[in-house]
Parts: sequence; C-alpha cells; structure tokens
Amino acid sequence: MAQIQVVMPQLGESIAEATVINFLVNVGDEVQSGQDLLEVETNKAMMTVKSPCKGKLTKWLVTVNESYPVGSVLGYIEVKEMQTKTTGNEAVDAKKTPECPQSQALPQQQNVSPTVRGLPVPAPVLGASYMSPRLKARMHELGLNTADLAGVKGSGAGGRITIDDFERYLDFIEKQKKTKASPMRVAVADAMCRSWKRPLATVGLYASLDKILEHRKNFSPKPGPSLYALRALAIALSENSAPAGRLIGKVIVHPQAIDIGIAVEAEDGVLVPVVRSADKKSLNELIPIYNELINLARQRKLAIEQTGGSIATVSNYGTFGLVWATPIPLPEQTLVLGLGAGRVSPVLDKEKNQFVPSTLACMTLSFDHRVLDGGAAGRLLNRIVELLNNPEEL
Amino acid sequence: MSITYLEAIRAAQERALAENPNVFIYGQDVGEFGGAFKATKNLAKMFPGRVIDAPISEDAIVGAAVGAALQGMKPIIEMQFADFSITGFNQIVNHAATLYWRTGIPCSVVIRLPSGGTLGGGPFHSQSLEAIYAHYPGLIVLTPATVDDAYWMLLEAVEIEDPIIFCEHKYLYYHLKAEKISEKDLPIGKARIARVGRDATIVTYSAMLHEALAVANELATEGTELEIVDLRSVKPIDTDTIMASVARTGRLLVVGESWPWGGVSAEVIARVCCEGLSLLDAPPQRLNSKDTPIPYHPNLWGSHRPTAHSIMAAVRNLLNL
Repeated sequence: MAQIQVVMPQLGESIAEATVINFLVNVGDEVQSGQDLLEVETNKAMMTVKSPCKGKLTKWLVTVNESYPVGSVLGYIEVKEMQTKTTGNEAVDAKKTPECPQSQALPQQQNVSPTVRGLPVPAPVLGASYMSPRLKARMHELGLNTADLAGVKGSGAGGRITIDDFERYLDFIEKQKKTKASPMRVAVADAMCRSWKRPLATVGLYASLDKILEHRKNFSPKPGPSLYALRALAIALSENSAPAGRLIGKVIVHPQAIDIGIAVEAEDGVLVPVVRSADKKSLNELIPIYNELINLARQRKLAIEQTGGSIATVSNYGTFGLVWATPIPLPEQTLVLGLGAGRVSPVLDKEKNQFVPSTLACMTLSFDHRVLDGGAAGRLLNRIVELLNNPEEL
Repeated sequence: MSITYLEAIRAAQERALAENPNVFIYGQDVGEFGGAFKATKNLAKMFPGRVIDAPISEDAIVGAAVGAALQGMKPIIEMQFADFSITGFNQIVNHAATLYWRTGIPCSVVIRLPSGGTLGGGPFHSQSLEAIYAHYPGLIVLTPATVDDAYWMLLEAVEIEDPIIFCEHKYLYYHLKAEKISEKDLPIGKARIARVGRDATIVTYSAMLHEALAVANELATEGTELEIVDLRSVKPIDTDTIMASVARTGRLLVVGESWPWGGVSAEVIARVCCEGLSLLDAPPQRLNSKDTPIPYHPNLWGSHRPTAHSIMAAVRNLLNL
C-alpha cells in the first residue's frame, strides 16, 4: 500500500519554518483530499496543513510546539487499496511486493542541493515566485505582468500560482465592476513597474523659496518654482554628471546632454516634456520654452521629439498641496527632483537672534541607489538648494 | 461470445490470408503447432502452404521475408518473443528499413513481436523494444492496446507497403477481452483519447493503457479527472493529439513499460517541451520500468515495471508540482 507524505508546505514567500500547534486529525482517522490535518503557526499567521490525498493517517512524525522547516515530512497517509482490478495488480500480490519507496510513495520534495560545480543551486521551481511556462504564456497573451498577480493565492508546490489558480482569478475578476484603463494609465503603469525593479531611495532637504519668490516678480508671466528647480538641477549636473549616469552591467553610462524632463499632470496620467540642454540656456531663455512645453503637454499635443531622452525629471508635487513625496524616476533615468508645497514658517535669523517668517519647501531627490548613495545624493541636493538661493545667477 | 486480444490477432491474420493471396505467414512453429502463443492456430490447415515453419534463425526468417517482399509478396513474420528479434536485427534495420530508400522497391513485411512482461518472464522473455525499432527511419512501429486495435491495426499493417514492427503485448493476449470486434474507427498514425479529463494528461500505449485507466477511475472518485492518450502507434507518433491534450490539461505524465533511456516517453516529453513548452503548467514527468534488466521473480518484476500503484504515486506527484 502506498504511503503518501504529508509535507510542510511553503506558507508564504519568506517563511522558512512553522511551529506545530495542534493536530486536527488523529492516527488511524480517514481523511479526505484537502482536509485540514494540523494547525501550524508561522511568524505571520496561523495556518493549516491540508491532506494531499484521500486515505488513512498512519503516522505523525512531529510533536506539538516544535518547529519544522518547509518541506519536512510531517506524517504519512496510507492510500487505500485500488478497487479496480488491473493487469498489474492481478500479477503481483501487493502485500508481498517488496518495499519500494521510490515508486510506491510520493517522491520526496526535491530540496536545494549543491550540485553544480559545488555551488548552491537555487530551486525557484518550488518557490511561490515560480511561474510555469504556461502561466507566463497566458499572461503574455492577456498583456498582464507579474504585479497583476499580487492578489492571487497559489495552490501549487511551494505556494506557486498554478494555471488553475490563475484562471479562477480571471473568472473572479470577470464578475467585478470594471472600467477600461486609458492607454496613458497603462503606459504609466508599465513604466512604473519597470522602474520599480531598481532599488530606489529618497533624500530631502528644506529650501527657502524667499529669493525665488522675490526674483520671479521681475518676469511676466512669472516663471514657476519648477523652472528654477530645473535650471538649478541642470547647472548642478553640468558640474558633475555622474549622479545622473545609468548603471548598465558594470559600467556607468554618463548622460550626453543635460536634457531635463518636467512631470506634467494630464488626464489620467503624467506626461514628461523635455527641456533640451537646460544647462546651456539661462533662466530667462528657458521661460518661453518651458511655458510652451507645459501648454502642449496639457493639451496632449507634444511632438515625439519633445519627450523622451531626458536624464532626470523635476516633479512639482507641491502644486497638489503636498509637502513631501517620493516620486519614482522614469525607467531610463536615475534621478527625480521633487518640489514640495511652500509653507511660511518661522526661521531663526542668527544675526537678529529672532525668528523671522520664511517660505520653506521640502525638496526631495529620489534616486537609483545602485548608482549613487545618500552622500552623493545629499551633495547634489545641497548644491541645488545653494543655487536656488542665488536666483539671479540661474 | 467474447474475443481475446490474441484471438483478434489470429482473426486478423486469417482474414488477411483469405483476402490477399500474396500474404503468407512465416515463423518458428507457426504451422501445425499454431505458434508459441497459438496466434496462428489452425491457419496452416485452412491455408495450406501459406503458413510456413521457419528454422530457428531470426536472421534467416527476416532475410527470407525481405526477399519475398522484393518479389511482391506480403509476409507476416512471427518472432516467438520480441527479445529474440535482436538476432534478426541486422536484417530488420539495415535491410528491411532501408530497402525502399535505397532501391525504390517497397518492403511490405509485417514483423509481429510478442512483447512486454508476464509473470516470471525474466530478462529474455519480457522486453518491450518499440523504442529501439522506432529509432530507425523506414520502420513503422505499432503498439495496440485494445482488442479492436490488435485486429484492425494488424489488417491495416498488411496493406501498408513499409516494414511494420507490430508490438503485441503478451500480457493482454489472454487477459484482455472484448464482446466483439467493433467497427474500425481510427487509422494508423492517430492516437486515441481513451479517456477525457481536465486535470492532467497521461500519454501511454500498449498494456500500460489499462493501468493508467485504472488510476484514472480511482482518482475520479476524488474529483480528479485524468485525460488518457493511447498512442496506438509510436511511429509515426501523433504529436497533434498529444499537444491538444496537454493544451487542455497543462500537465503531462508519460508512462511506458520499456526502459527509460531514449525511450518513447523521452521522445514524447522532448516533443512537448520543444514545441509546446508554453502549454505546460508543471514539469513533464515520465514513468518507465527501472533501468535494469527485467527480473524473473514476480515480486521483483512487480516493482520493476510501472503498475497502477506507481502510476498513482507519479500522478499525485505531478498534480502537486
């Protein structure tokens, strides 16, 4: 008679072991496929281990309050004698058949073993993140990506999502209220997912906008704080372009030109028109270029050459009244400079030794942490704030 | 009134002899004795001079048959056991298989191989050699699993102008019965969906079909539905039917009684991986006999070859991958 193993399942992506809390079935009990056999507790939740098949529980190998790693054998279920007479069964008396665990029982879960040139070999095939070729093909067919599966619970080995889980999820989705995502939404989603593959970090710094607010009164129409920030960023990068480089394999690819994008909210998405060679034009020269780009973007009339190819972006989330945010750089960029809403705040004037009102805004720099660290990002951000304190030089 | 797998083979030969004057049967003790398994019982009496005893030389038997085929005859050769056909291997793979390709003259020979294991058969009376013959271009290799297929495929084999390796399973000779021979439904080269299911596909052939069907019936009581593909002919192999089934189920187990190395199961899995990887939701699995000579002792034999029990374990493993 075949003995089927009850195995500690993968209970979550980062769970390595679980503690047995309670047996729900006793030795000798008949169990159904999928029936809860015992309760286990991980550092995240209480869960149950289910029976892999119908049969009789013959043995527990574990004790309550002990922890066991994922994949360990917890007990055995005896599968009952096959009812159907077959040619093979007629030939051989099952009871006399020598014990042959390889063919008679469920093969052991294949654990990771160091087999390739002595190096440990990862076995994603047993992990929750494994996607079968069929699942990949099906998702490709439907234009879905991995992030779309976040809400699906896997029932396969190691908690992986099987094609059946996926099709059930699709059926479930089919019954929900749905609206069509605009092409712009889909494009933003795609760009953000690609960008998010990198380790991103953000640093922030308070900047006084007083000088800028005074300086912009000289112009009509008045340039926005974003343009000042853009120009300051361009100058800072022209002094040292390395922080805007991209890490490709083992080389840093430096930018060819200081082309800076501006995030502009458009209906159901964000557009990023680009100011070319922003380091080579004065603030004065940039004003009409900037204003035209913003107008075209809002009307969604940007020409192809007016977008793309920028090395960094300025995002003025302060226009939404937000004081602080962690914008995500575009996938082809390393940096995004964020500008928070200005607030009139008391600032200590050291000469007068008294608090004076000043318009402060938080500036953030979000970056690909593979390319630069907090120090380099901080130096760049400090330099930008320094430049903003001298707007007449911009 | 019922008919066994063996009786169907005998009946097919009787009909072939009656319908085609060029057909003759040649093999050791096939005449008055009626063959080692009685597959030619009474045929010598019914067709005098056309059911001929051969010397104990498979080499000579196949060589003579190839010569007869050159002259337009349609010989049906009986090897007493598939295992012995190896002594005629040169004539089969170097002469029969290549004749048409070398000369343009068809080689219409049917070579019947009583194949597969029986109780106590041991290493020289149990082999399944479909893979080794399928390796050679020019040969057609048939592995009927049912009474109807044994009858209709043998009749069709006689009509085909290529050399045919007809692997009939000895275990099915007496154990497998049908009420009567049904109408012919599928030509050689088409696999049969022996059972429809949605959870996993088992591709198999010959006697293992019945083990697989038993497993499927057992699992159906648990709500798991297996689809079973009976290859019928391992060469040509019906890749389309296999692919279509894997497309429905996403999971594949191939079961064969022969050895694993370079076998039919390996070929099926190679085809599915090469042409249909994106159909698979789990790594394809195969189950063969152990990679050792076939043991004599019945209990050892029972754990050497795939059985319903080991197929069941393999299916449960497949369903949990």
